[in-house]
Amino acid sequence: MALLEIKDLVKRFDGRTVLNGVTFELNEGQTKVIMGPSGCGKSTLLRCLNRLLEPDGGQIFFRGEDVALPDTDIRQHRQRIGFVFQQFALYRHLTVLENITLGLRKLRRLSTAAADKKAAYQLERMEMGAHRLKYPAHLSVGQKQRVAIARALAMDPAVLFFDEPTSALDPLMSLEVAAVINQLRSENVTMLCVTHDVSLARHVTDRVIFLDDGQVKAEDSAEQLLTTHADPRIRQFFGQPAALK
Amino acid sequence: MMALTDFLRDVGNDSALLLGGLRSTLLLATTISITGFVGGVLVFFCTLTSNRIGRYWVESYISFFIGTPLLVLLFLMYYGLPQWGVRLSPLWVSIIGFTLNVAAYNARYLTTAYRGLDTGELEAARAQGFTSWQVFTLITLPQVLRLSIPGLTNQVILNLKDSSIAFLIQYTEFFAQIQELSARNFKFFQAYLFAGIVYLGLVSVIVLIARHLEAKCMIPGVRG
Repeated sequence: MALLEIKDLVKRFDGRTVLNGVTFELNEGQTKVIMGPSGCGKSTLLRCLNRLLEPDGGQIFFRGEDVALPDTDIRQHRQRIGFVFQQFALYRHLTVLENITLGLRKLRRLSTAAADKKAAYQLERMEMGAHRLKYPAHLSVGQKQRVAIARALAMDPAVLFFDEPTSALDPLMSLEVAAVINQLRSENVTMLCVTHDVSLARHVTDRVIFLDDGQVKAEDSAEQLLTTHADPRIRQFFGQPAALK
Repeated sequence: MMALTDFLRDVGNDSALLLGGLRSTLLLATTISITGFVGGVLVFFCTLTSNRIGRYWVESYISFFIGTPLLVLLFLMYYGLPQWGVRLSPLWVSIIGFTLNVAAYNARYLTTAYRGLDTGELEAARAQGFTSWQVFTLITLPQVLRLSIPGLTNQVILNLKDSSIAFLIQYTEFFAQIQELSARNFKFFQAYLFAGIVYLGLVSVIVLIARHLEAKCMIPGVRG
């Protein structure tokens, strides 16, 4: 059974249809990357999947249960999804350690000692153990990214969402993020990543979903989609000649 | 020099009354600082409602109490309400009147600080599964309060200074006792100068506490 099964998802803003019947699946342990031109609805899609935005139509099955229904326990659903935001969104009044333990203490009801232990493990995993008492303002962009991932992982989510994880990073740091995502991939962490970074897509997945005009226009292996896909618009997006030789 | 010595002797003779007045001033200023703070946080919380009508009422409350002189409100309650059979003591009128006024100002400081928050953090907290109340108490309020320390402590200073107008509704606080003293010895200049120095001393203590608080509670990398 798929972990996530999205069927005909629709989202409108002020009469403008941003998602127009998006359909795809994400299996346990799988990593998929969603790509597409700016404004195609990539970030909106992620936010609809954890109900930060309310979909206007369609179904979202999470382990077979439709979580788009009005009576869904939204907070429970959100706790199963680790969300790593584009600008990391670390709580700036809390230390690195507190950023991670807050959810564990207040949502998972762990004791301070148990939360600290769990957070310390995730920070070590992200090679951020030495920075646990620092505040977000004292971290580099790459370090913030790692803390944001550690915060998401600490809650033992069923799936990790990444929203443009490399948009704020230089190429070297982008490679670091790709390495982290690959590390998680090797540990069978299920991930859905929205990006416009072709290089990241090549590095972290073999399945790419191409979203355009609010619809899934193609889903294929990264190589096939990025180089020799039949659709000229898709080839153009990935910097390939519109006409195939 | 003689006049000053005479005045200080008068102050010594009336020290019990003056100290009593000072206690009343501190009681009123402390009370309205606490109730005004709690009221301000509650009003601020109400400004975050997504209900448009609710927001309109809260905004109207803030605008009304910031836009009307406190003295008018105190007179309305102390001299106006008895017309309808409602009689409140000068202390209660002062506490209620000041609280309504101070809460509106404090709410304004907090809403201004709120605009400087990173909305991404609030979204991240909701995405983690926190309730709206948890987002407010764990993320919004701790940051907004720290960013508002200069405004909030400035309000405490104003509370102390403005408490002197309570003597106009018969609340015998420090300034009322100074008035009393000067009416008896006719040393108006020395009396008001003395009152000014006492208020300045109290304000200086508040400023020192405020600076300490600001340094201790500063969010690293964020300017308040």
